[in-house]
Parts: sequence; C-alpha cells; structure tokens
Amino acid sequence: MRLRYGFFPGCTLESAAREVMIATQKVAGALGIELVELEGWSCCGASHIQDVDEELALALNARNIALGEALGAPILTLCNTCTLMLRSAKQRIDEDEAARARVNEALRAADLQYRGTSDITHFLWVLVRDYGLENLRKQVKRPLTGLKVACFYGCHILRPPQVMGFENPWNPRSMEMVVEALGAENVPYGERLSCCGFHAVFPAEREVLRKTGVSCRSAREAGADVIVTPCPLCHMQLDMYQPDAQQQFAESIRIPILHLPQLVGLALGFSPEELGIRRHVVDAIPVLEAKLARA
Amino acid sequence: MRTITFRIQRYDGSRSWFQEYVIPYESGRTVLWALIKIREEQDPTLTFTAACRHAICGSCAVRVNGHSVLACKTSLDELLKVFQTDVLEVTPLSNFPVIRDLVVDWRPKTERLKTVKPWLIPTQAGSAATGFAQSPQEYRRIASPTDCIQCGICSSECEQLAENPRFLDPFILNRAYRFAVDSRDAAPEEHIRPALESDLWKCLHCYQCVTHCPKEIRLDQEIAYLRQQTIRMGETDNPGARHALAFHDDVRNTGRLDEVTLPIKTEGLLRTVTRRLPFAMRLIRTGKVNPLQRPRPVRGIEGIRKIYAHVKEKEGKRQ
Amino acid sequence: MLQYDIVVVGAGGAGMSAALAASRDRHLRVAMLSKVYPTRSHTGAAQGGINAAMGFRDPTDSVEKHFRDTVKGSDFLADQDAVEFFTAGMPDIIRELDYYGVPFSRDEHGRVAQRPFGGASSPRTCYSADKTGHVILHTLFEQCLKNGVEFFEDWMLLSVVVSDGKLDGIVALDIRTGEIHPILARAVVIATGGFGRIYWTRTTNAFNMTGDGTAVCFEAGIPLKDPEFVQFHPTGLARTGILVSEACRGEGGYLLNKHGERFMARYAPEKMELGPRDLVSRAIETEIREGRGFGEGLQAHVLLDLRHLGREKILERLPQVRDLALTFEGVDVIEKPVGIRPSAHYTMGGIHVQDYRTCATPVEGVHAAGECSCISVHGANRLGGNSLAEVVFFGKYAGLGAQETARHRDFGNEKRVVAEAQRWARVFETMRKKTTGHNLFQIRDRMAETMWYNVGIFRTEKDMVKALHTLDELWEMYQDAYIGDSSVRYNQAFVHYVEVGNLLKLAKAVTLGAIARKESRGSHAREDYPHRNDGEFLKHTLVYKEGDRYRLDYLPVRITKYPPEERKY
Repeated sequence: MRLRYGFFPGCTLESAAREVMIATQKVAGALGIELVELEGWSCCGASHIQDVDEELALALNARNIALGEALGAPILTLCNTCTLMLRSAKQRIDEDEAARARVNEALRAADLQYRGTSDITHFLWVLVRDYGLENLRKQVKRPLTGLKVACFYGCHILRPPQVMGFENPWNPRSMEMVVEALGAENVPYGERLSCCGFHAVFPAEREVLRKTGVSCRSAREAGADVIVTPCPLCHMQLDMYQPDAQQQFAESIRIPILHLPQLVGLALGFSPEELGIRRHVVDAIPVLEAKLARA
Repeated sequence: MRTITFRIQRYDGSRSWFQEYVIPYESGRTVLWALIKIREEQDPTLTFTAACRHAICGSCAVRVNGHSVLACKTSLDELLKVFQTDVLEVTPLSNFPVIRDLVVDWRPKTERLKTVKPWLIPTQAGSAATGFAQSPQEYRRIASPTDCIQCGICSSECEQLAENPRFLDPFILNRAYRFAVDSRDAAPEEHIRPALESDLWKCLHCYQCVTHCPKEIRLDQEIAYLRQQTIRMGETDNPGARHALAFHDDVRNTGRLDEVTLPIKTEGLLRTVTRRLPFAMRLIRTGKVNPLQRPRPVRGIEGIRKIYAHVKEKEGKRQ
Repeated sequence: MLQYDIVVVGAGGAGMSAALAASRDRHLRVAMLSKVYPTRSHTGAAQGGINAAMGFRDPTDSVEKHFRDTVKGSDFLADQDAVEFFTAGMPDIIRELDYYGVPFSRDEHGRVAQRPFGGASSPRTCYSADKTGHVILHTLFEQCLKNGVEFFEDWMLLSVVVSDGKLDGIVALDIRTGEIHPILARAVVIATGGFGRIYWTRTTNAFNMTGDGTAVCFEAGIPLKDPEFVQFHPTGLARTGILVSEACRGEGGYLLNKHGERFMARYAPEKMELGPRDLVSRAIETEIREGRGFGEGLQAHVLLDLRHLGREKILERLPQVRDLALTFEGVDVIEKPVGIRPSAHYTMGGIHVQDYRTCATPVEGVHAAGECSCISVHGANRLGGNSLAEVVFFGKYAGLGAQETARHRDFGNEKRVVAEAQRWARVFETMRKKTTGHNLFQIRDRMAETMWYNVGIFRTEKDMVKALHTLDELWEMYQDAYIGDSSVRYNQAFVHYVEVGNLLKLAKAVTLGAIARKESRGSHAREDYPHRNDGEFLKHTLVYKEGDRYRLDYLPVRITKYPPEERKY
C-alpha cells in the first residue's frame, strides 16, 4: 500500500516552523508516505481572514482544496489550524448549495473548480488511521524508552467536533497511542486539552502568556521531559514565547517542546539535528541526549 | 455489583472539600438521575439546581471530569465509556461565584448581560400595534442563536474568560449577535460596540464553547461575524483588527503570511521595536526567523487576486 | 424592611408579563421574586405554540371561532365573558410580542406562522419552531431587564399576609442567605405556576412546579377554584413522563397501538390525533387497559409515529421533539416510532380570580395570573396553545390591575407581616435543628403514588376516598418530618419541605373537589359517573381552607353565548 497525499504545508512550515518541514519530509520518506506539495497553495486564513471576510476565506480555501482535488489525493496538513480552516470550508461548501455555486463562480476567475472530491486530513490522523500504529511500531529503530512525554493536542485538531470528528474531543487518545507506539511514556497532566492561545497572542498578550506558563508548568510538574504537539502554532506559542511567559511566574516553567513529526523521527532513528530540533528556543537537546543515550 | 463513584465538590460558604458517594450502576441513566439519587438516598444536604429535566431551562449545568454538561441530558453510560472509568468527579461551573456545592451565582452575569442591550431596538417598520414583517430567511438567521438557554456552560468553558473577567461570556456575545442580525433591530451597533469594548478580539479561538454548548450554537461563527461588523463599522485601530487585516492583505500580496512584518502591522513599528526586540533576536539566533527571507508571490497569485476582486465586487453589490 | 408598590411573585410568562406591564408606570417600584433564576421558569418548556386568531394561515379563522373552540374545549365550564375578552385580545398580544422581538417562525409573506393544534377548528397556533415558550420567556426577560425591573432570584414565597380581606404584605425566604423577610406591598401579583408535581414522578412538570403561590393564597383564605381538573398530556415519553410537544400531533403524527392501528379512529373519527388532550389521554389509557398497548404496568405505552413526515419536516419543524426522543428514549423518530403515554401536565384549577379584567382575587391587593390561577378560561380542560396565550395575556392584565390597585391603596399592617416572618423564622430554626422524624422524600413519593393511582386519569369515589385517607395520614407524618440539613445557606431541603407541605394541601383540595363532582367533565373522568351532568354540576368548585378545615362551595358558570352541548370531535 502506497500512501499519497496532496501536501498543504501552511505558512509556518515555510518560515518559523521550518523544522517541521524538515522533520516531516524525513519521516514521510522513512515511512514511505508520498507527499506532493500543492503547487501555489495559499494561506488558510488562520481564522483571521475569516474575521475580516468570511466569503473571501471560503473562496480562498476552496481554491486550496481544488488544487488538491486536481491531484486526485486527500489533502494532508501538519497544522491544526490549517486542518480546521480547510475542513470548515469543505463542510460549508458541501452542505450549502448556494455557497458552492458562489465559490465556484469565484474560482472561475482562477480557472479552478471545487468538486468536493478530496478529504482533508492531518499528519496525526494519517499515522493512526491510514498508516496504522502496528506498522509504525514495526518501523521504530530507537524506541523512546524512558522519555516522559506530555501530549498537548491543541484546539483545532479536536474542536469543534462537528467539523473535526476524528475522535472524542473530551478524552482523545490518538496522541497517546502514537507516543506509546514509539516506546515513550505518557505523562497525564491537567492542560492536555487546553488552548495555547496563539491566535490571540497580540490582542491578549497577558492572558496568553499566562496560559503558556500554566501549560508548561503543569507538564513540568507532572514529571514530563518534553511536551509534544501536533501543531506548529501551539509549538510556536509554547516554545518561542516560553521565556516571555516565564516572566509571569516565580517558579520555573521550563520544558522543551517537540513537534509530533520530530518525536516520530527520533524513534525512527534520526538525530535531533536531522530533525531541526536545534532550531527551538527552549533547548531540547540535553534532555533528549540524556534520556535517549540511556535507552 | 458494578458501582459508580461520584467525587463531588462541596462548598458551604467557607470550606470546600470533595465528598465521595457510591451508587449502584444502572444502564440508561443520566447525571441528574445520579445526583438526585444521592441526595434522596444518601445525603439531603447535597445542593444543586435542576428543573425541567429536558435541557430547556438551563438550571442543571455542572462539570463532570472537567467538562461542563447539562446534568439532565448527559448519559452516564456515555461518560463512563469516554473516560474509561467508573469514577466521576463533579464540580460546579467555572467562572462563576459558587453559592453552595454545585449552585452558582448568576447575578454578576445578568449585570454583564445588560451591557449589550439584550433587547430588540425596534425599527420604524414595526409597532406594538402592528408587529413586523420578517421573511423566513430573516427568521432563519435568528433561529439558532435564540436556542440559547443561558445554562452557563460556555462561560464555564471559556478559556479567555478564565484569565480575563472583562471578556464577555460567549452567551452574552450570542445575545449581541442575535439582535445584531435581527431584521427588526434598528441599531446593531448598539449591541456590537459593547462587545468590542469588552475585549471581543481576545477570544482565543479555542472552540470550547462550541464544543460544549448543549444547543450546538456556532458561537465561533457569531464571534467572527461580530468582528467583521466592527471592521465594517470602521473599528480597525486595535491589535485584533490590525492582525486580521494583515493576514487579509498579505495573502493578496503573495498568497502567504509574512511573519516578519506581521508584528509591525499588528502593533506598529514603535511597539515592535521597543517590545519585541528580545523576542525577535531570540528567533533570529535560533534561525527560526530570517528577516531577509520574505515570501515571494505563489504560483497562481493572479488567480488569488482575481478571487479577491470577485468576492469584493459581489459583496459591494450586496450592500 | 423591604417595601415595594408592586411585588410580582414568579418569573415565568405570567409574572414577567405582569412585571413588564406594571413597570411601564415609572412612579411605581416593582419587584419580582422568583424561586429560580427567571429564565429557568417552566414557561420555557412550552414547545408548540400560542393561540391567536390572526387568520394568516386560514383567513376564515376568527376570534369568534377561537372563543367557541375554547368554550367547547373547556366542556362548557369556562366563563364565557372571560374567554371572549381573552380570545379577542390575543391577536394584539402576538403583535406586541413580535414588537418585543420574539423570534416567531414566519410564513412566506413574512407574517407569524401558524399551525394546527388539538381542539382548534382552524390552524391558529403561532409558533417558533418547537421552542415557543422558551423564546417568549427569554424575550419577556429581556424586556424586564430593559425596564429595570428589580429581580430577587432564589427567593421563595412563604406567606401572603391578609387581614380583614385585605393584603398586608408577604413573607419570603432568601434562599441564599437563609434570611426570612417581611415585605410590604400595595399590590402583589401571584404568578407561581401550576402544581402538577402532586403526581411527582408521573408529570411533565419541572421539579419546582409545586404550586407555592396557590397553596399560600389557599392558606391565606383565598379559595381554590376547580382544583379537581388536572390535564394529562397524552404524549409524555414512556420512561420518564417528559413532554413531547403537541406539535407532533399538530404536524401530523400518528398514534398506533400494538396492532398498528390508528386507534383514535375509535374515539374521535373526524379529528383523529388532533382531538383535545383529555380525549386523547383517555383513549391511550383505554387502549393500554384493554391490552392493546405495549409493555406492562408503569412501562405500558402506545407509539407515536412520525416517520411518514419525512426527515426534512421533522428536522425543520420538530427538532426538539427528535432531540428529546433521542436523548431520553434512545429513539430517532426519523427512523422509528417512540413510546408515549399520558403524563400529568396542567392544573386548570387554581387561585380564585373573580375579575378577569384585573385578575383580582377576593382579597384586596392580591392579583393572580397564569397556571397558579383560575379565571376560568380553560374550564374543565385546556386547549393546547391556550396556556402560553393565557400567561402572556392575563399576566399583562394582572400587571395593569396591580398598577391600578397600587395607585389607590396604602401599605398594610406592618406588625402582622413581621409577626408572620418571625413565625417562619422559628419554623426554619426548628426544622434545621431537628435530628429525627419521617423522611420527607417518602412522604412526597407516597403522595404522588396515591394521586396517580386514585385521583388520576380515571376516577371513582372508592379510590378517591382511599387517597383522602392516605393524604391525611401523610399530613400527620409531615408534622414530624425530618429534612436532614442544618445549613442556613441555600437550604434546599427546607425549601423542599415547604414545597411538599404546599403539595399536600393542594392534593387534598384536588381530591375533595374530585369526590364531590359526581360527573365526568373535561379532564375529570369519573368511572362511577361517566356522563356530564349540567343539571347539577355546571358550576365552579370553590374549596376554602379555614385552619385545618377544608370547606366546599360552588359558583355559577358565566354563560354568555354558547349553551352547553355535547362535546364531540
């Protein structure tokens, strides 16, 4: 079985989260998953264009989906928010005839057509549902034994369930199942399903930094070595802003944050450097070296 | 015999504690059934409110294992299955003052509700003697928002409200929306502006409210609508609107977001330079951001710009 | 000491309409007391709609037809002058509600949509999907907020203090603090809802429908009118008794017995499922008794079948009905019929209102509206869609009546009100400190059981006398009840103690009225007197409570236009 996807990287994989691009390509290559980047994809709107002009956001994402349809493959994203924005657009267009007609009228300007033939999925879901955890387990070269991992799902891979629907948003298990398949240890903690706040970090800086700190502290206090997240935006918030969040707390909140493809890559035998882990603000290398050397 | 253990948070006005109750398992029962059973068979001091039993009065919202639910319509079997447990922890709604046990105080919420003028400001087209004409399409816009039963679940789940008591509860934003889109209302701005002034742009997009709302009201879409309207009202001089507009403009320029200029567009050059410099240096040092590398227009950018033009033209015609 | 020109007790449709009307006079201070947060009130549970002869859906409809249908539905026990006043005023009420912002469903001309309903000769029930009561309740609340009505939520009425036939004030418990307050008022409007909870487990009513205002007025010497008339809603969910809207019959649902027959053909060949509630309830119970239902004993039921309406219509018109069946019975009505049987739904009787224009009771200063009261526009049986209509309409007139009363009345005797509050404070103290006694929940459940089996859908003298003995016995036990909560703060056990006391008094009045009415009329079905007897019983029952003594009296029915005829559908 050859898995093939229209790859929608999203803006951050081109810039601040380039390490996700690096890690994903390594992992996909090793697992034999073919990722064909959609040529000419545009920003999903990140829930912000939606706040300016809903109709425009719908049309732009219809264009993105149409690019995937032309490939004849499901669309895969690495970012929770991209997944939600694309899925929301798809659901709206599929359920509303009038919206579909309007959108296709707009797409004609770009010589494209929305047909509704491609599903939109996320790397995490592909691992669990399409690739399969048993197959993943077989590919593990370096079990992450002893590494204590706190899973941080992020909102837009779970909520709203009307749009996402992959698993129960009250008690999801997919991340923990992947972590377990890689041989690492899951650490339960209070903020597993919290919001990182990234989308409001400018207008609500104080509140968001506080949330960042609470999430990091919660995982740290639960004994986790790292937090792992399937979303580059959550990663940016928890990693890049962690030093700023620290200023709101007397106690240390320090904890390294890994991207899901990086965690998978480590278990597949890639080095932290090969997976771009050096690019993180909160240095994850020492704890990885300590833990993984021991294993 | 299978049993269910309830760990219920108690509060008597000064002291708070958890108390455990064990009841025999029965299939096909609700959380409210269990609470009543505990009160009537084990502890008459256990305090909670409930009235209609069918999810229309909004009295019986509590949190179970950290999730806010209507006790009357929440199946125990479902909860036990989702959480893979026979132990359920019941606590009062978050973001409310607690009066006793699971009973919360609504008075502060009512006061805040009043700020969005939660009543129809009628247009000249109607009168008390004649009523109004309203099309079925116009009715449909207010059909879902008027499902709100003011149960407080969205307030309890709101992650912005938890950090910032200034933020308006989602059900209050729903009320503002409900009147703003009512064809009979003469002054949508009077409902929207108070929302804007109470940190409308601080909603985190966490979707907790939508996920837990027992009436499945799309509060996310309502909040997006309120934001769109504030921009139409000319309220663009705030970080939230500027941030959103930066995305809007960047995508027209190149199809992609420009992370380097985003803070400047959102916060202004001065604030970015004075406040964000350590942050930026940190990112440059690790190689996360390269200020010299900027997005180039994507293939098909002309098509994207045509889509912009097309949508704007249509919207212009509609207004 | 708290002092208001007008105090409205109860924040449902009637109370809020009253407060809204009364608060238009900015010189009057209006307070509203409610045992619950206002939007929790049971008006919100009314699903199907509100009757008014707008003539939108059927141009041949008229106020006259609404008047006639209501009188006929009442089995001629309604006061016809009151019904005429009511039905004539309803179209204006709908327009007013529209102006307040009620989100009514609309027809293609943009007018308020109307649907057929049981017992109505034209489709005149205005609605908002199947949440009509909910949206009216919330809209009235919004208007009260706009008018600056002062809300006292979590306050429970304990006494109406009366001397020489005049109001002195009221006594109420602030549930949160446990303080008992005397409150002076020039006028009060009692709007506390019905008392379907006398059938505790077999009712569509919310837990708090314990007839507090009705019992308190009864205790204060105001008679109860027609308490024996209790409506059983034909379509309660089989397992829980939770109401499924009449709209499911209005929109064309079928009732089927175990042979798959639409059995209503036997009982109301023309109207079929759209027959009035009492008739449909008895038809279902008859099917069950004669072995054509499903299941046994308390689980027995017939089926409501909506499948032929189709997915789209069910989702568009009856989304809440679908939701209820799904949540509480695990049945998707799009795919399968759902089990239903009657459930105690509405108390036609209540506080005796003697002037329908002002909703004044025999005690000067006390007005009453809504289900707690009896005007009487429903007589022996209320039509679906007339309840929301009544609460908004008579709520308004009670508010206006109270306004008039407050303008010309002085405050009453302060000392008596204070003394009564002190008496209640002692009761509260005693009950909090009591450490033994009879279990309150058991008293309540025995009351419900005896009422369901002996004073339920079918009644006989023998059964009802048995119920009377049980009720007396329970009243004795109640004197030595134990509540098990010593808290001052939010003591729900004490609140419930007061509620059960209220229910016991009302249950006894229902039983006494029912025993004495040796005929069958409307909801009151006597197996030992199966026919209506206009010669002896075309009259209202009045039950008085004088200390521990209950006394019966009667009052003629006011018949202005429609002489009694046989009620056929």
